[in-house]
Amino acid sequence: MKTLDIGGVSVPAELVKSSWADPWLDIDDYDAESDLMALNMGPQHPSTHGVLRVKLFVDGEICVKCVPYLGYLHRGVEKLCEKLTYVQIPSVVDKNDYVSPMMNELAVCMAFEKLCEIEVPERAQVIRTVVAELQRLASHLLWVGTWGLDMGGAIGGGGTLFLHTFRERELVLDLFEDLTGGRFHYNHHTPGGQRHDLPAGWEASVKQVLTFIEGRLPEYEDMTDNRIFFARTKGVGVIDPVLLMELGVSGPVARASGIDHDLRRDAPYCVYDRVDLRVPVETGGDCYARFLVRMAEMRESIRLVRLLIDSIPPGPVVGAKMVKLPGAVKFKQKEWGSAYSAIESPRGELGTFVIGEPKKASPWRCKIRPPSYHLVSLLPYICPGEMISDIVVILGSLDPILGEVDR
Amino acid sequence: MIPEDVQELYTRLLGEELSFEPELGPLVPSETLLELAGGLKALGFQFLVYCASAHFFAEGEQPEVCMTTYRVRRLGRGTVSVAFHLRVPYGTATPSLVPIWAGADWQEREQFDLVGARFEGHPDLRRIMMPEDWEGHPLRRDYPIDTPHFPWR
Repeated sequence: MKTLDIGGVSVPAELVKSSWADPWLDIDDYDAESDLMALNMGPQHPSTHGVLRVKLFVDGEICVKCVPYLGYLHRGVEKLCEKLTYVQIPSVVDKNDYVSPMMNELAVCMAFEKLCEIEVPERAQVIRTVVAELQRLASHLLWVGTWGLDMGGAIGGGGTLFLHTFRERELVLDLFEDLTGGRFHYNHHTPGGQRHDLPAGWEASVKQVLTFIEGRLPEYEDMTDNRIFFARTKGVGVIDPVLLMELGVSGPVARASGIDHDLRRDAPYCVYDRVDLRVPVETGGDCYARFLVRMAEMRESIRLVRLLIDSIPPGPVVGAKMVKLPGAVKFKQKEWGSAYSAIESPRGELGTFVIGEPKKASPWRCKIRPPSYHLVSLLPYICPGEMISDIVVILGSLDPILGEVDR
Repeated sequence: MIPEDVQELYTRLLGEELSFEPELGPLVPSETLLELAGGLKALGFQFLVYCASAHFFAEGEQPEVCMTTYRVRRLGRGTVSVAFHLRVPYGTATPSLVPIWAGADWQEREQFDLVGARFEGHPDLRRIMMPEDWEGHPLRRDYPIDTPHFPWR
């Protein structure tokens, strides 16, 4: 297969297009004769995964222009971060990406540790990696199920796959409930380590759950191995890798378009430098390729957890100085400081940029760089020219979480 | 660690040997910004990670300041990310990077909406998170969080 070299990354040549759709297309210039209709998809549409509103200008069934409107879930998290202290913030950012809360906590905690120069003990680093991979598994399970719903009857009568994946995801949530006491909002990570140590026998139940889920994954593949599913996904929503790079889209969507990039392997954090990570890359660029990448990532997560779960070293889970007081973590320098740290969340690069005020326990500015925001910004470029029913599938295959987009 | 080719570009455009903190990057004058960004993209920095603005109060003779920082990344194995930032009096426009990275569009709109940073040459500088009739910019440091705001109900 022919490849092109774009900024040091080789991408499949056939996916690279000469031009993209114009997001600022003047609708009056389009075609005065045609009968254009403006159609609001959302904010209450079930396939918009929350409260995204997409205004579509359609010519018959074909989309001509697409304008996303955000802000229906804007809660002012970044403003709250300025008023709360470093120790309090992880419990607030839980609600950003409500499908993978552990990742949000990890991202802000790593930035605060970098800023305030806090050491994280060995045991905490390994536990962080394990829960991150379990969370990736749970998040992708939810995605497969809800994407099946988006496609209506294409997968086993619509709701079947959804019920199957939710049953498996529940097992992972039960593991987290044992660990933290909460099913969704864990408040588990804290700058310097974890709030809770592992409960007795947790490793054994993790291995049991992994064996169960691994046995179920081929079932999903059997369910999706049908002609209707292929017709809905193969060749639908092909995305240009150069466009993905320009818009800052990373994660499974970028890897499905042939961009071989994963922060876990390329800029390792926690203990990812100790494991030999296999990054799944597909060259199709369509919805089916994104499905394949996420299925492969689930298997990879199971393998990583198995590698690490038996070798969790003994010791404390927080640094020696950690106390559970709101003002316990401070930026102690006399000069202004800033830090950026990024992790690979199930949707792509999730980063936190923080500016620390000297001698204060709360940040001056805390910018969260969510991967879903960039995924939604793709829509004006890829939707024109697609059918309305395909737009539902494409939007589902991107897997944006609106709590994270609006913050 | 800053790669040599980037160091060379920075030295050529900013005219001094760089000993900068990698988090914020060097301070770039507005007139050099587009040239620096174009140079970085030519070096393979295809990926705009984020653009973040912050508001700082007036201090002595200094006026209120708006600081904007950009971070770009080279993808693939051995990924490298570098940053650069600008500081201008609050309300002054800085050149928009939309012509160079298409992704700067929504990034800069968000900073305009929340912090009040202005970008010159942006094709569509509208509010993105807040309602269109909202007054003020919520991430200004003196923006009160405990009083109702129009059109608060």
